[in-house]
Amino acid sequence: MTVFRGQPSLRAWARFDALLAFAALALVACGLALIHSGSLRSYDGPLASLANPVARQALFAVVAVGGMIAISRLDYHLFLHYAWWLYGAAIVLLLALIPLGQTEFGSTRWFAFGPVQFQPSEFAKIAVVLAMARYLAGQGGDARSLRALGGTFAIVAPVLLLVFIQPDLGTSVVFASIWLGMVVVAGVRRRHLLVLGTFFLAVLPFVWTFTVADYQIERISVLFNAEEDPLDAGYNPIQSQIAVGSGQLLGKGLTNGEQTQLDFLKVKTRDFIFSVLGEELGFVGAMALFALFILLLMRGIRAAQIAGDVPGQLVAAGVVVTILMQAVINIAVNLSVFPVTGLPLPFVSQGGSSLLTLFLALGIVQSIVMRHRSYRQV
Amino acid sequence: MRRFRFRPERRVDPGLSRNRPHGNVAVLRVAVIVLFAALGLRLAQMQLVDGAEYAARSERNRIIVESIAPVRGLIFDRNGETLVENAGAFAAMITPALLPDRAADRYRLYLYLEDLLDVPALEIQDAVAAAEASGGVSLAVARALDRTTALLLEQAAADLPGVSLAVETARSYVAGPEFSHILGYVGAQSPEEWDVLRDEGYAFNESVGKVGVEARYEASLRGTPGRAVVEIDAQGELVATLERREPAPGRGLRLSIDAGLQRYVHQLLADTMGEARTAAAVVMSPQTGEVYALVSVPTYDNNIFSLADPGDAYRRLLDDPRLPLLHRALSPAAPGSTFKLVTAAAALEEGTITPATRRTIDSNVLEFIGEDGQPYYFYDWRAHGELDLTGAIAWSSNIYFYMASCGIPQEGIRGLGDGPEQSAVVLGYYARSFGLGQVTGLDITGTEFPGTVPGPEWKRRSRGGDSFTDEDREWYLADTCFMGIGQGDVTATPLQIAAVTAAIANGGRLPKPRVLREIVDAAGETVEAAEPSWETLPVDPRHLAVIRRGMRQSVVDGAALRAGLRNVAVAGKTGTAEFVDPDDGETKEHAWFTGFAPYANPEVVVTVFYDLGVGGEKAAPVAADIIAYFLERAAP
Repeated sequence: MTVFRGQPSLRAWARFDALLAFAALALVACGLALIHSGSLRSYDGPLASLANPVARQALFAVVAVGGMIAISRLDYHLFLHYAWWLYGAAIVLLLALIPLGQTEFGSTRWFAFGPVQFQPSEFAKIAVVLAMARYLAGQGGDARSLRALGGTFAIVAPVLLLVFIQPDLGTSVVFASIWLGMVVVAGVRRRHLLVLGTFFLAVLPFVWTFTVADYQIERISVLFNAEEDPLDAGYNPIQSQIAVGSGQLLGKGLTNGEQTQLDFLKVKTRDFIFSVLGEELGFVGAMALFALFILLLMRGIRAAQIAGDVPGQLVAAGVVVTILMQAVINIAVNLSVFPVTGLPLPFVSQGGSSLLTLFLALGIVQSIVMRHRSYRQV
Repeated sequence: MRRFRFRPERRVDPGLSRNRPHGNVAVLRVAVIVLFAALGLRLAQMQLVDGAEYAARSERNRIIVESIAPVRGLIFDRNGETLVENAGAFAAMITPALLPDRAADRYRLYLYLEDLLDVPALEIQDAVAAAEASGGVSLAVARALDRTTALLLEQAAADLPGVSLAVETARSYVAGPEFSHILGYVGAQSPEEWDVLRDEGYAFNESVGKVGVEARYEASLRGTPGRAVVEIDAQGELVATLERREPAPGRGLRLSIDAGLQRYVHQLLADTMGEARTAAAVVMSPQTGEVYALVSVPTYDNNIFSLADPGDAYRRLLDDPRLPLLHRALSPAAPGSTFKLVTAAAALEEGTITPATRRTIDSNVLEFIGEDGQPYYFYDWRAHGELDLTGAIAWSSNIYFYMASCGIPQEGIRGLGDGPEQSAVVLGYYARSFGLGQVTGLDITGTEFPGTVPGPEWKRRSRGGDSFTDEDREWYLADTCFMGIGQGDVTATPLQIAAVTAAIANGGRLPKPRVLREIVDAAGETVEAAEPSWETLPVDPRHLAVIRRGMRQSVVDGAALRAGLRNVAVAGKTGTAEFVDPDDGETKEHAWFTGFAPYANPEVVVTVFYDLGVGGEKAAPVAADIIAYFLERAAP
């Protein structure tokens, strides 16, 4: 009889990272309160109704947490095993968007199945993390050689390109960050990074000229002077700045923000949910949110540190980088230090497919934590 | 249960999990801390350093949401004549968010407006404070400005931040003062109304129906406001419209009132006032309860409530001893002999008299032995001789109805019950079944009074307190007797008497009077037609037929002779009710007539009332003229 190292034993369940799960759930709870406040103007029906965005989000959260627990029971090597298939599926879905996707605000990011929207780039993030981990594991576990580095680049580049042409600047940056974060953990040589960095800076002007859409340039330029165009591209940055700034230390109180309740803020349960928090709960509330994110990410990094093998470590690191960059970019948009891009705030923003993907990713991280002793190298 | 278990030997990639983890995850920790620290610093700069400035900007965000007032529904008479129009009117508006910041600057501006608009600066200050507290975007400090003032204001507004001239729709009551009581008027919301209406989406300075049909059908007339998200510059000038939702106009009302009839009746009453100070008339359908005319003299001009300053005109109305704001057809007075219709129905139904009960009244004085053993003398207006019930109704015999209501104990004639108290309670029950002592529920807000149906219990309650003695509170035989002929403490409104008449005319259904015929949309199509509703009287239709016969006889050969018409069979009942004038303490008389026509197939009920006069002489001929006009010119 072989020893099934992947089996979750009672001891393994004891290693389930409850703190990680708590941080994620606390963020979801924050999100529910903010979605409630942000949807007061548009929804005034009963609390327990699927038309109520709060109830819907709560239902999604329950399903997502169930998914996380189910995934954590599985050995994460299962996902690594199928990594190439998942990666291939992600590429196909992103390609399929071009003829079949739904265009909204000038960007084609979603499939629409009736009322349900599915965003393939959410799924692609996990697929890319798994594929890179799988690839690097095959390269002896590190990215020291130029060949291995080039291979990882070849994995990320097509996905990044497909996302970039949607166009979705924010998610493109997330993919670039995933790549950078994972190769750094895999021990990339500084010399190689410097060369690549120089190369990137060299091609940037061409990318800027030929592939960045006009609206993206506009969104970037309004960062420097939002007042130039207060009603169009500058509208959201101005209104979110006023919202966040006017929150001051303690905020105006949940559901009391003028910017939020008088509809000055747009997409305030999704992209600009942080502005609602800033306005209604103030600096103190924002710091509490930061603390929850830092707790969540630090527990994720711990998973990377104690992982039993390199693929586990790389997957955990990749998930951490994904969540970190999404959160940072979303908040940066709300604080007008990054161009407006439709990126949700992880765990907090309204949206089922984002929530589901995030909890599935956490499930994989839990699986890594729970099995780190089984795969410990001697 | 078999789960997927990953066995090492099944692993395809021998490299997997063979390599040892790296040690350099610390770089991730650094990245987390550095990035969040950077965001934290930016946040601190925005919220803590520049927070106050942003808060000020949030207060006066230059993009404002404006409510676009819908066009209020029009009101028509039954033939489509327009009774109310919407007219443009100039208003002086203040948008608090655009006013100067410093209180002193603001007050200087208010003082300037005081000069121009004649509105006290302190009043403006209070109104602005209230609007700011309630989140109002802008408020009208003066409405219905004349042209000169409007032009001056428009010129001045350029230098007065936050002040602007607006054109808003005002109500113009074009049909004449005869319709003022029915239509009512619109006006600014009181603080109490605002507390309720803000939840229904009303703007702070939106006008609302205050009384009359305007108030009763506010929900239909108002329409749905639209919304515009606009950007304005520091002068309050529109820069761009970001979003606009058009308002939906209010529904129109088609009333059952016939404008021509209403004017005719009003003129007729005004011309025949004589010594009377006030008068009222009701013309309604005995079948559906639709009111064709509802007249009160004197009336007032409801357009004064649209004036910039109704002050003087309004004060004159309040100072007028005739109280023109009251609708006399909805205000109670002693009904006198018209109430005998109720007494007759009660006595027939209780079986204390039959149609054949005859009384011989050969003296105009009836002697009662009171509770104290002393004789009391009750008077009739003449010695009628021998009368049956129809005769008693036709000639309006008081003594016959004394006998029918309180009885004459010493002669062994039983009243409606055992003893005066029970008789009064029984009579009270019938009076209430005929709708007396309670409002009819006419669909005109604000002016209807219930009147009084007295009784032993009522007397004890209403004469509480030390200014009354126990004897004052006691119910006497005389109370029941007077109640039986519509005197004493009984009061009823002309509208109630009209409804009583309608119920007798139609054979036992007491209609709920109403002035609405249908609600129509902007194209004039019917949205909702008013449904008639009735209460059924607890009186046998055969008994009502006897009463109708008495009323017919009264016109053919009785007290209401002057209500007769040559080609229509009119039936009716006069009333001459004594009352003590509170002004001089003298005993005077109200003149009443209530009747219907044609006798066999009633199409119209008419009730006429003058505060001073004799029913048969004054009210009866006027009612005949109204019936003639109605059947000739206004019958539906």
